Amino acid sequence: MNVLPDSDGAGLRAAARRGLRRSRDFVDETPPDALVTVTVAAVSLLAAFAGFLAVSSLTAVPFAVFLVATGYGWLRHQELTARVLTLTTTVSTILVLGLILVFIFAEAWPTVQYATVNVFGIPIPGLRLFIETRWSPVTPPIQYSLVPMIHGTVLVTIIATAVAAPLGVAAALFLSEIAPRTVREVVKPGVEILAGIPSIVYGFIGFTILSPWAADQFDIVGQGTYLFVGIVVGLMALPTVVSVAEDALNSVPESMKSGSLALGTTDWQTMTSITLPAAFSGVSAAVLLGVGRAIGETMAATVMLRGSPGLTKPLYNVFYGNDTLTSLIAANYGDADGLQLSALFVAGVILFVTVLFLSIGSQYIEARMRRKLGGAE
Amino acid sequence: MASATDTALVSEDTSETEAVAAGAVGLAAVLFALSLASVFELVTITDPVAGVPMVALLGGLLVVLGFAVVTFGVGSRLGYVATDPRPTAGLVASTAFGLVWFVVGGLVASQSLGFGTAGWVIGALVTGGAAFAVSAFPREDIGSTLPAGGLALFAGIVFLTGVIGPSWVWNLGWEQQASFNAEFTIPVLTAFCSLLVGWAAAKAYGGFGARGRHVGAYVLVYLNAISIIALLFLLVAFTVLKGLPGLFNGFAFGAGAGPEVTLVGLTFSLPVSWPFVMNGVALLNDVNGVLPAIAGTIWLVIGAVLFAVPLGVGAAVFITEYADRGRFTQVVEIATNGLWSTPSIVFGLFGLAFLVPRLGNQKSLLAGMLTLGFMLLPLVVITSRESMLAVPDEYRDASAALGVTKWQTIRSIVLPASLPGIVTGIILGVGRIAGETAPILLTMSGSVAPPGSQTVDVLGGFQFQSAPPFVTNPELMQATSALPYQLYSLITAGVGQSSNIGAIDEFRWATALILLVVVLGFYAVGIATRYYFRSKLQHD
Repeated sequence: MNVLPDSDGAGLRAAARRGLRRSRDFVDETPPDALVTVTVAAVSLLAAFAGFLAVSSLTAVPFAVFLVATGYGWLRHQELTARVLTLTTTVSTILVLGLILVFIFAEAWPTVQYATVNVFGIPIPGLRLFIETRWSPVTPPIQYSLVPMIHGTVLVTIIATAVAAPLGVAAALFLSEIAPRTVREVVKPGVEILAGIPSIVYGFIGFTILSPWAADQFDIVGQGTYLFVGIVVGLMALPTVVSVAEDALNSVPESMKSGSLALGTTDWQTMTSITLPAAFSGVSAAVLLGVGRAIGETMAATVMLRGSPGLTKPLYNVFYGNDTLTSLIAANYGDADGLQLSALFVAGVILFVTVLFLSIGSQYIEARMRRKLGGAE
Repeated sequence: MASATDTALVSEDTSETEAVAAGAVGLAAVLFALSLASVFELVTITDPVAGVPMVALLGGLLVVLGFAVVTFGVGSRLGYVATDPRPTAGLVASTAFGLVWFVVGGLVASQSLGFGTAGWVIGALVTGGAAFAVSAFPREDIGSTLPAGGLALFAGIVFLTGVIGPSWVWNLGWEQQASFNAEFTIPVLTAFCSLLVGWAAAKAYGGFGARGRHVGAYVLVYLNAISIIALLFLLVAFTVLKGLPGLFNGFAFGAGAGPEVTLVGLTFSLPVSWPFVMNGVALLNDVNGVLPAIAGTIWLVIGAVLFAVPLGVGAAVFITEYADRGRFTQVVEIATNGLWSTPSIVFGLFGLAFLVPRLGNQKSLLAGMLTLGFMLLPLVVITSRESMLAVPDEYRDASAALGVTKWQTIRSIVLPASLPGIVTGIILGVGRIAGETAPILLTMSGSVAPPGSQTVDVLGGFQFQSAPPFVTNPELMQATSALPYQLYSLITAGVGQSSNIGAIDEFRWATALILLVVVLGFYAVGIATRYYFRSKLQHD
């Protein structure tokens, strides 16, 4: 039954034919008034969505029609209505992702266009955002360079990964392989609660305690360092790494571990030579997701950094922290308009696309691992 | 079993040497704790401890430890100590030691001896290579103790001779200035060395070989787990201690102590007066509070749940129960996972671009609710799908065998069976969005310190009319405050903004505490629900 459609053309055509036949059967089998109800509901919901997009004050009318139609359908043809409603919710979930893509890209476009550079007569939109190094939205020459913020994000992410990856994988090993049951019952919720502490609370503690302390210790001018933002963000990414890596380690079949132990190895030998290699891709997916978390972390960076875009001197000076992509948006959205606001959306696009790629990449890796281990799909 | 008896019988001194190694591990732990304490300035490095200056104490302990570990390794190599070492310490350990000594050599050559670039590179390569060779080529007992013990000896001597003394400062000489001082460097170096030596000593305790590596690794892994829990405890305890005074400022308990409220036409005084959660911010208040922010957070959560839960559960039902596994379900899974990892600030931008212009062209409570709903949606889909997949297929088959339709099976079998998982997922998700600042910053932020009169009253705000859009609610369409946003604006607010709050620091910490209580409350309930249902399942 559950045959995956082949990727070649013949398979696709066959699938399309099957789909067509199935929908014809569906129309034939369904009572006409149920069909009408569902159609009315679908059309009115589409109309309501279009009205909302067009900022129409009449949006409520088709929406009311939708409510009435589904209400009637629920009473008379619950089976079909439930099916159609759940399909609608599924489609709208995908739609949300699509809408995010469309809207932040659309808002970002003016600045990308503004920053066009002609290279050998070929206009390359947005290139100036990445070859200049000055963010100067007010004083001329007006430049919207994102290079300083990308530099900041990269530094913070590297430091955060250096904190979260080793500690997170070690904690995942502990939870999945080492800890006795009672200890695990304490540590696991503890890690989850660590994920639950709001980022603004981390930021607040960093802002009131860590930043002044660091300024004093390292004899820095002013407050705000990428180093400590990176450490705090690493702690916040830690729970993500732990829980995903633990899942990966748990998915290694028990028979593999027992087989190794039966040869007389120590637990640690089994872990390093069987469990970790087998779960390696899952563990790296966990680290990738942690990196994604670190890139997107906003509030701790916003309150702990200086908020004055610029490169640190020298570039590897992590004791000064100016701005990351996220903190740029959070700190400047209020007094930005026009091209500057649009430049903030460009920063958002960069974040969104990067993290989306990391997410898809880690899903691909995980799926491959699951196939390799032959576990239950 | 036999071998365990053997070792105890064959060489009686094994237990003594084991005791020495265990003592070294313990001493390393003490040293680690001591250096942490001085990083956090619980003890200052200039203070004498029992008449000995702190620096000298740390240095002396390092020398003792280093000496002990090296002696153990050499003793094992010469056969005085019965151990079971491998031919080499392994590539991982050798590379790590090589890197550490590379850095040490480079720093000594460039900073202490003042060599140029070529000089320090050569010095670093020589020391790093030597350390690599020492740990890679001799037997494991030498290879894993000598580089570690040597480093501790070296650091200890540096501290003891005052090369790095209490007044030592290393200015990095960068354009934006930064420098390492002794108060930071000495404890951090000590902590690092004690970790290294502790690991080597733990290996020695295990008698090297497979068992030694096992012990050494376990010490580090346990230490890591303990530190994570300790950190969590510290964070929460610290916030609680700092926040409590502000939170309970003016708290009174007793009949008629609280403000008058009217419920169902009945007016009475509450038995509790808790100004911080019952007041807003106003000039004439004795104690200012965050009532509008609490109300805002509650309504935000309610709105987000009302929006996201039906959508998310519906989507999960469709892809788990109706759709065949294939392209479509794959796309949905990728989309939900992608949404789940999307940064919160991007949701905020999306709300700003999509919702705000369409909802009265101003920041509003409704825009905040929907934005947080978008954030909650993927979490609901993922957790609901997981718990529906966990429902055994036998249940579905049994129901289908009774001749009922698919929807009836879903409604009366699948949904009830997966309800615990769904509820837990929702509660944990709510905990996450209740603490989110970035999205509401861009979509519903109101005034920094709202007075009590600005508390939202969504239920009382509904107005009905005959023309579209039929129902309006001005309360939903205007900006308000929420706890995370309030904390953020208190942090960034200038002096002028906060002048009418009075003890601003106390107020901030109390706000942080109440935010933490609200969010961790959700988490505690979620985790408790999970344990409750799990224990129930196990009893069945």
